[in-house]
Amino acid sequence: MVTDSTADLPDDWRERFGIEVVPLKVLFGSETFRDRVDMTDAEFFSRLAASAKLPTTSAPSPGEFAEVYRRLAGSYEGCISIHIGSQLSATAEAARVGAQSVDAFRVEVIDSETVTMPIAFLCRTAAECSTLDEAATAVRERIPRCRVLALLDTLRYLEMGGRLSRAQAVIGTMLDLKPLLLVKDREIKPVDRVRTRTRAIGRMVEFFTDELPVERVGVVHAQAPEEAEEIASRLRAHVKDQEVTIGQIGCVLGTHTGPKALGVVYLKR
Amino acid sequence: MDGALFKQALLGSLSWLAANQEEVNRLNVFPVPDGDTGTNMLLTLQSAVEDIRDSNAVEVSKIARLASHGSLMGARGNSGVILSQIFRGFARAVEGKSALNPEELAAAFEEASNAAYRAVNRPTEGTILTVAREAGRAATAAAAAPGATAPSVIAAAASGARAAVLKTPSQLQILRDAGVVDAGGFGLQIILEGMLKTLEEAESAVATMAPPTAKAAQVTVDLPEGGWGYCTEFLIEGKDLDLDRIRDEIESLGNSVLVVGEPELVKVHVHTDDPTRVIALAGEHGRLLKLNVGDMSTQHKRILDTESNVPAKPERPNGVGLVVVAAGRGLVDIFKALGADVVVEGGQTMNPSTQDMLTAVDAVPYEQVILLPNNANVIMAAKQVVSLTKKQVRLIETHSVPEGVAAVVAFSQDKPVAENLQAMKAEAERVQTIEVTHAVRDTRSNGLKVKKGDVIGLINEKLEFAGGDYAEVVNKALGKLGTDAYELVTVYRGEDASDEELKHLESSIRSSYPTLEVEVQQGGQLHYPFILSVE
Repeated sequence: MVTDSTADLPDDWRERFGIEVVPLKVLFGSETFRDRVDMTDAEFFSRLAASAKLPTTSAPSPGEFAEVYRRLAGSYEGCISIHIGSQLSATAEAARVGAQSVDAFRVEVIDSETVTMPIAFLCRTAAECSTLDEAATAVRERIPRCRVLALLDTLRYLEMGGRLSRAQAVIGTMLDLKPLLLVKDREIKPVDRVRTRTRAIGRMVEFFTDELPVERVGVVHAQAPEEAEEIASRLRAHVKDQEVTIGQIGCVLGTHTGPKALGVVYLKR
Repeated sequence: MDGALFKQALLGSLSWLAANQEEVNRLNVFPVPDGDTGTNMLLTLQSAVEDIRDSNAVEVSKIARLASHGSLMGARGNSGVILSQIFRGFARAVEGKSALNPEELAAAFEEASNAAYRAVNRPTEGTILTVAREAGRAATAAAAAPGATAPSVIAAAASGARAAVLKTPSQLQILRDAGVVDAGGFGLQIILEGMLKTLEEAESAVATMAPPTAKAAQVTVDLPEGGWGYCTEFLIEGKDLDLDRIRDEIESLGNSVLVVGEPELVKVHVHTDDPTRVIALAGEHGRLLKLNVGDMSTQHKRILDTESNVPAKPERPNGVGLVVVAAGRGLVDIFKALGADVVVEGGQTMNPSTQDMLTAVDAVPYEQVILLPNNANVIMAAKQVVSLTKKQVRLIETHSVPEGVAAVVAFSQDKPVAENLQAMKAEAERVQTIEVTHAVRDTRSNGLKVKKGDVIGLINEKLEFAGGDYAEVVNKALGKLGTDAYELVTVYRGEDASDEELKHLESSIRSSYPTLEVEVQQGGQLHYPFILSVE
């Protein structure tokens, strides 16, 4: 199983489920850092806060993907390679091109159409399957059910990254609003806007309970572990028999969300 | 009493109210610079007689119907709306009648009072309602007396009103505390007295009063840069009027001043932020006729809106429009950025009329419209809009700017109107409002002694604190609200607040309440240096 660093995989999942993670890159000026390899999340966000200019992000190169696939080809017949939505990044395309240069190794590249931990969930789904075909079918079937409900502390980063257009018009600009955005069907749609974080977190939980039942659920955060834990414990009250996984938003995604972003991520049933 | 006499009586009451409006304004219970009752009633009455002036109808029913319609459209403020309902009741009572005998006239007064009571959800005694009722009762008693005439009935109504007005402080604690009589009730007394005065003059005069014939020449006037304020026009009728002196006086109160005419009749036109003072000043020179006050900022806004709305504005998925009332450029911009289609200019000191809001509602390209008055004194006029348009208007009774902002923030263009209403109401109720201003006079209110000029703080419209500076009053107010339950204070800075005052206020909130986030917005509202939203 291969994914990329925007899957925001919980730390222990790599080993537990045997998942390879290809890092995207963050560029501060002329300096390039591989997401979560050359720089920790904490380092990234403190640098982000200190930096006058926003960093830019870039997808791994096809060559970097080819390297990983070639290494895997030594032990496996093929792999499933699940990546950040192609509407947001060129990563899946790079994986596809990279796969073409590796002979005698089957790569099933999947465009998840989403971002952050739902990709990790898709990897878990794949891990539970016994063949590559079965895994590819199971994963593709779940893509339309992936959701990310995100609370950004500010729209500044998303705006500067050029990932917000219609949403901007709906959300308004003068007041410091806390927008709730839903990533669904390849789109980022505003679903609500509130003035304070506490209220916004309440809305996230409310929104989530209207979406029940879910197959998997988690909470992601950018340097806001206490709030993530609080949301997780509120979600647990609604999904008693299910695990609520907590994950951290990495450097690449963090460039667009900014610090203090929170997300409730889930696979609808 | 026939239509012609009734018309004269109404015209007379208008100029009598114009001459006395400052007296009425002074009776504000709260020492806050609020929508003045006298001005609101005058503008409502002015609108009531607008169409009557040009009518030659002899039937009293026709004149009454015109007055009812006109007052309804021009209704401003709560007392203005009640006045419009008084006209409505009167018009209903005289339907189909060409003239009224004393009994019929008295019955019409009674019905006018009943209509006013019906217009209010929870009628309060000691207000204009009580005065209307007592006037009706006195009129009925007088009509039953032998030899009753229309003037004798109206005289009784006026004196009944006067007696009722004097009793209002014994009926309402807030009046007693403030040491005033009820302003709306007093306004109604003035109107009745004005009618009486005119009828008495008419009776004693050999010829009936000549209707004002001087047609104002069409004048073109340059709009001041920005175009804010009120376009105020009227005629002064008098003797030996000194045009130069009048011009000098008016010029100190506004711009685009035009004073033309003859010593007996002067036409005045001015763009001013304070039509009340202009009218009061002019009233000292003579009788005012053809008074017309137009809110230019609203007109200006409307033109701008129509222009900016035409090009490719994306169709709103739920088909629901948003009309809000606000004053101050910053607040207007904030509401627009949040999705308001039209911002009707008005609020604290100049309440928009029913007509202003109706025009805005009709201008919005959606059949369903949510209307936010954002001021307690605008709510009743806004309510009238609902029945005056074919559109489906839903009113959310927001009492303040913070409530309005909270409601608009909760508006979603993807959700149906019912869902939006529920969410918007809930948000409006959640937010707490602190308003900071200066007392406009000495008073006692809510157990608080206040001196003119003191900084005063209101929490949700209730006067709670007085003090020497803004920060002190705001901190006391925040303390009273209890900041544990809140996380964000949004400060809307008014036109009159200086940079230093703002900085001082900000740092004092931050140091007294370190857990609160403080956000500053330029509100640009007049008279209220600071409005704070606590949530």
